Amino acid sequence: MRTRERAASVRMIDEPLKPDLVLVLTYLALSAIGLLMVYSATAPGLEAVGRDPATELRSQAIFVVIGFIVFVAMSMVDLVELKGFTGPIYLASIVPLVMVLTALGDSEGLAQRWIQLGPIQFQPSELAKIAAILMVASLLAQAELPLKWDTVARVVIVVGIPALLIFRQPDLGTTLVFAFVLLSMLFVGGATMRQLGFLFVATVVGTVGIFQLNMIKAYQITRLTAFIDPGSSSLDATYNQVQSEIAIGSGGLFGKGLFEGTQTNLQFVPVQSTDFIFTAVGEQFGFVGSLVVIALFGLLLFRLLIIATSARSRFAFLVTIGIAAMLAFHIFVNIGMTIRIMPVTGLPLPFMSAGGTVFVALSASIGFAHSAWIRRNSPVGE
Amino acid sequence: MTNTMRVGVVGIVFATLLAVLGIRLWTMQVSEVYAYEALAAKQQVRVVTTPAPRGDIYDTNGVKLAGTRSALAIVVDLALVDIEEIDLLAENLAAFLNEPASDIVEQLSAENRGAQITVARDITDSQATFLLERREDFPGVTVIPQPIRTYPLGELAAHVLGYIGRPNDEDLERKDVDGNDFVGRAGVEKSYDVQLQGIEGIVQYRVDAKRKVLSLVGEEAPTAGRSLILTIDSKVQERLQESLRLGLTQARRLEMDERAKVLTERSRSDRVAEALVEARLEAAEAPDDSTETTSTTSDVGVDDNDVASEPEPITVDPAEVLGPLDTGLPIDADGMCVPVQRLTIRLGGEGVLSGIEPRFVRLDSVAEMDGELVATVSISGTKTAVKVNGWVDKARRVLQVLAVSEDEIILLHKDPWCPVRATGVVLDPNDGSIIAMSSFPTYDPTVFVDGLSAEQWASLGTVSAFQNFAVQGQYAPASTFKVVPYVLALEENFYPMDRGAGDKIVGEGADQGAESEPVALQSDTDEYFCGGEFKFALNDGTFQRKRDWKWPGSHGLLDLHGALAASCDLYFWDIALRLWQERADDSGLDKENLLQGWARSFGFGAATGIDLPFEKDGLIPDKAWFKEEQRKETGRVRQGPWVGGDLMDIAVGQGATLVTPLQLANGFAAMVNGGTVWQPRVVARVVDSDGGVIDENPRLALSTIDLSPRTVRMLRDDLQQVVNDQDRGTARVAFAGFGANVDLVGGKTGTGEVIKAPKAEHFRQVDDALFVGVAPIDNPKWVVSVIIERGGGGGLVAAPVARQVLQYLVNGPEGVTELAPGSEED
Repeated sequence: MRTRERAASVRMIDEPLKPDLVLVLTYLALSAIGLLMVYSATAPGLEAVGRDPATELRSQAIFVVIGFIVFVAMSMVDLVELKGFTGPIYLASIVPLVMVLTALGDSEGLAQRWIQLGPIQFQPSELAKIAAILMVASLLAQAELPLKWDTVARVVIVVGIPALLIFRQPDLGTTLVFAFVLLSMLFVGGATMRQLGFLFVATVVGTVGIFQLNMIKAYQITRLTAFIDPGSSSLDATYNQVQSEIAIGSGGLFGKGLFEGTQTNLQFVPVQSTDFIFTAVGEQFGFVGSLVVIALFGLLLFRLLIIATSARSRFAFLVTIGIAAMLAFHIFVNIGMTIRIMPVTGLPLPFMSAGGTVFVALSASIGFAHSAWIRRNSPVGE
Repeated sequence: MTNTMRVGVVGIVFATLLAVLGIRLWTMQVSEVYAYEALAAKQQVRVVTTPAPRGDIYDTNGVKLAGTRSALAIVVDLALVDIEEIDLLAENLAAFLNEPASDIVEQLSAENRGAQITVARDITDSQATFLLERREDFPGVTVIPQPIRTYPLGELAAHVLGYIGRPNDEDLERKDVDGNDFVGRAGVEKSYDVQLQGIEGIVQYRVDAKRKVLSLVGEEAPTAGRSLILTIDSKVQERLQESLRLGLTQARRLEMDERAKVLTERSRSDRVAEALVEARLEAAEAPDDSTETTSTTSDVGVDDNDVASEPEPITVDPAEVLGPLDTGLPIDADGMCVPVQRLTIRLGGEGVLSGIEPRFVRLDSVAEMDGELVATVSISGTKTAVKVNGWVDKARRVLQVLAVSEDEIILLHKDPWCPVRATGVVLDPNDGSIIAMSSFPTYDPTVFVDGLSAEQWASLGTVSAFQNFAVQGQYAPASTFKVVPYVLALEENFYPMDRGAGDKIVGEGADQGAESEPVALQSDTDEYFCGGEFKFALNDGTFQRKRDWKWPGSHGLLDLHGALAASCDLYFWDIALRLWQERADDSGLDKENLLQGWARSFGFGAATGIDLPFEKDGLIPDKAWFKEEQRKETGRVRQGPWVGGDLMDIAVGQGATLVTPLQLANGFAAMVNGGTVWQPRVVARVVDSDGGVIDENPRLALSTIDLSPRTVRMLRDDLQQVVNDQDRGTARVAFAGFGANVDLVGGKTGTGEVIKAPKAEHFRQVDDALFVGVAPIDNPKWVVSVIIERGGGGGLVAAPVARQVLQYLVNGPEGVTELAPGSEED
């Protein structure tokens, strides 16, 4: 690998900074589809109460613009320079996680996940995910191979602190994102099968323990178990999922057409512009449309893995894998939730769900990956 | 493993995850799309039903007996009410309707979410306006017109019409019925409910997730139910009802007269003395009996109900003789007896027991003993502890406990001697059409439309006014049943054993022609001696004794025809006795069951299948039934074998024999029409709202009996004699004032003994009065049966009621004369 990298760097050393068009276009396409879906899902409801049907679209569009700017900005940041700041960034991400659990936190539904900064609502867990990825990548990048147990332990602690804080909010979905990202990064970072096996067992035991010790809230158990047999419960979580499933199922092969989604447009599906945005795709554009969206996500993940393998530094390589794993987990759990193969956890669909923090944070994260691509041939300043 | 390989593994994991999503989407959106489409469609359409007006009911001449009108109802559409608003809404509605809030809250409970609940029916226009102007206080409330059942003629033909009400569990099993509907609960409202019901209208709206109506998808107007044309003639029905009412009043007056006589004309000591004399007389005869009857339980023995076989000592308890007459029985405002009065007394409160001298009842305390509530009540200072179903005064048995609760007792003040009910049926013997049918006390079916109030239930329910006794009441037919052994005698050439001076050819006279063959067995005698007492030898050589209703008088010499006209018990007992004694002979006839066979052939002992609900079977007892009852230990039969006396009881319609008033009329109809048993019916046809016939309900012959014309002619003649024979016809006095065409009328009286009392205590005997009339006798068009429960003698009180109805039928409305008692004859 090193040989090939060097050869490539020799060949392409003088080329200017060139963007990954496939990555950028996929990102923009998903964002555009997301905007359209947000509009189609919210316009009838807003119109019904006499408000401007584009209200939600407008605010999401602003987030997309901000997000894109952040994406471009992060693409400019050299990860090598960033590497030195991972510690402060990590620490800075922990502070609001603590704050959100105090009186400053705002609760939506049954969990405290938000912080109000002036007019802006801010979800600190989104930032924490990226900070943790950067921190883990810098730890693993310096470590000798094969990884020692104490390195693994350090990495687990780094991930465990924000994960536990987020678990206390409580936000089980995001906590599981940390677990998935941790395992993925350790795997590609050179952990032995024994280490991975140990962590896997520990995760399983921990999860069982959480249930056994009643550390999990009742509504979370309901959500988690209700999806197995939605007919047995009339709780909101189940209602959402059943409605979502009916909407997507009734979409058929080609969908009911834009603005023709009876379930979506008649507001049978709640929180459809955020967590259940995929419902709008499935109902209005059918199987074909759903497959296009999944293919775009697949392409995005594929590009990220390509970027990872061509990264000039081990740090960039690990950051990109971490980001890809985070996105993959979001995509699978979110869409899986709307079609009732995963429980309802409240993870948004990347680039499509309405919401500012998450869009900006994910834009920043692929901005880092993009930066790795742009600088894949630059001299490694190690 | 190299980095690239590890990344490859990650890539494979990602691809797998996305593939899982794709496969699941394929099954949902392509394979199972129809199921999801159906689910989606169901959610978006809200179906609102509008009730269909029930079909009308008309009499045979087109007079409307039941219809519908449109009234405003308050309907709460729970789909439009937020859960938080329900309590407030219930409170407001309760205040508005002046009803307890808990009732409304129950109706609006969570289980009914999404349903439309009718909380009030038939509100006024101003009430509706009030509601609609205050929508914010009454969320989800709408006022819509709903059809309401009306019965323009009130009580007329109530028992035939029946009534409607909320469905019970059984009704709810029907697909087209839900808890908000009204269904027929009795009468033709029940038996023709499906036709009357109509088809609910449907309005389909497209709604959003908040159930807000977006657009109208489709609308189907309700289809009115089909109408019924009855065979009932409301004019005859009106006459029957009025006569039944008068008849019951008269029976009660006669009962009160009798009591007054007992209490005033004869002194208490006189009656005690009289009772003592009678008791001695009975005792004096007893030794005579015991020498003759070696065994009363031999297989040929006769039940000894009527036989005073009590040996010494002879004592008479004065209180027993006087009974409760001197302590007061319930009376109404007019001073007439009432069969039962319901009395609710609160703890510490007092109630009044009506009577000639009213008494006061106090509920002193209620305590629990052994898991049962025991109430202490005091009447005129005397305290008694009673439980539910117990009697406050065990000796007299007039005050029974219906229910006891912590703070309340409900008593039934009963008069077991007071005439309780008059039931009548008029039918056409040529096709089984019911022309009129009623029983009194009756009710107005309108009371059920808004639900029965507690007071209505207490006053009408306690006397079972809602039951149609014409098909649900079962009575001993008594002497009216003698037509069965009468027909048997003629058809089987089977007569009593000769007790007279000589045999005589049956049906003597010039018109007999070839039919009458002078064969020895085909004989009847006009010198059969019908004494008051019947002593007869049993197969084992012992003797038994039965008494005729006329005892200690006598009917003198008579033949079969005279026996029917005079209602001689002995003659028909003798027929039964001979059947019993010859039961094992080699005639090939099953003589033991021959009488029952003839009875059943006329439809007795089985429901007729009339198109009305809850019809009873009646009972024609036989040995098999008797044994079965014994085996099942129902307590309805005594121990020991089935004996000849049981058969003799059947011959005069007593013992365990039971018929409904309808069976009685229909059985007579079959005999006088020549032998066709028609299935009775009250609905002639079912028509649609335009009058087009949907369903004819044609006459249906259940069976045809091969009766000889001679039998039919003779029966008609003899029934005519019951009314017209001025010497011994048991109904002659009742029909004395009939007027013109009395010779066209025939009939048969009957007096069913419910409680048999010795002569001295005659006032304590309880009899059902029966009469069956037929007219015109040579070509019958009407059969009238009348039963007055506990009324007394059939000739005395039942025949006059039938007389008025027959006067109306034969001579028209002007021909009806005032009701007057007949003679105290069977």
